Amino acid sequence: MLEVINLKSRVGDTEILRGLSLSVNAGEVHAIMGPNGSGKSTLAQVIAGNDDYVVTGGEVIYKGNNLLDLKPEERAREGIFLGFQYPVEIPGVNNAYLLKAAVNAKRKHQGLGDVDAFEFLKLAREKMAVLGMDPKFLNRGVNEGFSGGEKKRNEILQMAMLEPSLAILDETDSGLDIDALKAVAEGVNKLRHPDRAIVLVTHYQRMLDYVEPDFVHVLSEGKIVRSGDKTLALELEEKGYEWVREAANG
Amino acid sequence: MKQAVLSIDGLRQAVQSLPDDALTAAREAALASIGTQGLPTVRHEDWKYTDLSSAIDISNRWLADGANTESAAPLADTVKSIMASIDANWLVIANGIVDLTHFVESSGIKIERFSDSAAPLVMERPLADLNVALLRDGLRIQIHAETEKPLGVLIVDEASAAATVSQANVEIEVAAGCNAEIVEYQSSSGGGDHYGNSVVVLKIGQAANASYVRIQDRRIGHVHTGRISVTLGADSQLHMAGYDLGGGLVRNDVDIDLSEPGAAATVNGLYLAGDGQHIDNHTRVDHRVGPASSSQEYRGILNGRCRCVWNGKAIVHKGADGTDARQTNHNLLLSDKAEIDTKPQLEIYADDVKCSHGTTVGQLDEAALFYLRTRGLDRRQATQILTHAFAADLVSRTPVTATRDAITALVESRLAELITDNVS
Repeated sequence: MLEVINLKSRVGDTEILRGLSLSVNAGEVHAIMGPNGSGKSTLAQVIAGNDDYVVTGGEVIYKGNNLLDLKPEERAREGIFLGFQYPVEIPGVNNAYLLKAAVNAKRKHQGLGDVDAFEFLKLAREKMAVLGMDPKFLNRGVNEGFSGGEKKRNEILQMAMLEPSLAILDETDSGLDIDALKAVAEGVNKLRHPDRAIVLVTHYQRMLDYVEPDFVHVLSEGKIVRSGDKTLALELEEKGYEWVREAANG
Repeated sequence: MKQAVLSIDGLRQAVQSLPDDALTAAREAALASIGTQGLPTVRHEDWKYTDLSSAIDISNRWLADGANTESAAPLADTVKSIMASIDANWLVIANGIVDLTHFVESSGIKIERFSDSAAPLVMERPLADLNVALLRDGLRIQIHAETEKPLGVLIVDEASAAATVSQANVEIEVAAGCNAEIVEYQSSSGGGDHYGNSVVVLKIGQAANASYVRIQDRRIGHVHTGRISVTLGADSQLHMAGYDLGGGLVRNDVDIDLSEPGAAATVNGLYLAGDGQHIDNHTRVDHRVGPASSSQEYRGILNGRCRCVWNGKAIVHKGADGTDARQTNHNLLLSDKAEIDTKPQLEIYADDVKCSHGTTVGQLDEAALFYLRTRGLDRRQATQILTHAFAADLVSRTPVTATRDAITALVESRLAELITDNVS
């Protein structure tokens, strides 16, 4: 589904990704771990199409096509979803309105008509129940005055409504208490599907107790320095990131 | 460019051709006042950014061509559709001609024509003088009890000749202790050049509560100047909101006079401007006594080659202690060809006052745009959503509830025109 080949990217004059390669197939859950500043969020932003991040080398192939040629909205309509580390507050834009506009943008791209308003609300309420979200959040401004946990649940709600092919969740676990973490994890697990790939970008192992990854990659200084199965995350937790850095350099 | 000069001879002829009635003396006095003062030019501080040449040029052509008033008959459909969009009790001034046929007699409202009672005030302000000099007739309205529907004043013009000019003048008095809702709706159509000039005088009685909504949706390119002068009685309230969606050269003057204690005035406004528009909002609040409060919040969305002006003045006179005056003006500029001149102005001659002002001029939040795009919305859609939210914050606080749906629809359709695919 996703082939990242020797990807290089910079922000301003700072080179962040320095030849990153990653292969993700449908049905898989990948965890990308690494210390602060290793390039985890940059990878997520580049895949979503943020043009603050300049691609200076390499390729990203998604479903057989060059992803880097597409605008952010085209990537979204083709099934890529980015769950933001810091979801943006948009006062005055109704949450339900955005959800519906997003779903309709994708449906239009697929040659379908607008979603039925009644069915849409029913579905949104069901997904919100799973996430432990009060339905009143539908009528509030997008992320406006939401707590950290509420924002993250709202990202997962958007993901659940959009049913992406490739979901990249950028530090969705950060700043969550244990109840919120469990609710978010349940939302993610409900989306595991043979046709769908999920990439969890995380600093800590604790999310992986609830969403079991098929592959774990460790990122350091803009490259993947180690890959393994879920036991790698446990090993990291025990030995710390310094261990990976030493292993990479040695 | 040299500023045009109004033809006083032409004006005198037009004034003298109007019927001899209760307004005659006022018209003559107004004519004399313009003869001495002339119309303001860009050399006047208050008119620095707004050149009235196009209004004067249209007036001179209209005067030279006989200063005719065109039949209001072609406006019947426009009047009908505007009345259908807002549930109000409508007084109509079409092509400057008062039309009371749509108004439903109401026990709470007394209406008189100036020609049947007395002439309007001569304010000795140039555009108001021009209005009175050329005024065929206007309305004096007393609202002495709460009514089921808001009072609507529809000022509508059809520019069927090459150059046409029309005047509208309305005096409204809200009786002490009374709640009143008023809608002023300005609309124009037709391919000719048009200059519409209106004057509204609003007197709010002691402990009365007046809500006033002004909607200006004139044809892009038509010239409009409007003055609203409000005096507030003790412990009275004014909630005003103005929406400028159309017009070419537009100048609004809102004057608020707070001469009695306990009064509170809120004056908000939204202007949406695109190619070829020049929208100038001047407000002046005179705090003459305290305690009293005034709050102004204007917002603008500009795209394409256009210019907007906001000048919000609050004067806290000597002895007006306990004054609370606030002004804000926020602008979104979506094009590098758009220009805003924003100037909050406080003049304070009293000691115990709370005053604040703030203005912002900015572009859309790139982080919010990107967020929306990652949800599948293209740049145009995302821009529309964000600008709509910027406007909706004011629209949701529109004082006359019966106007909200219509204003929401008008703002939405104007934004859809303004936010084109070429947004930067």
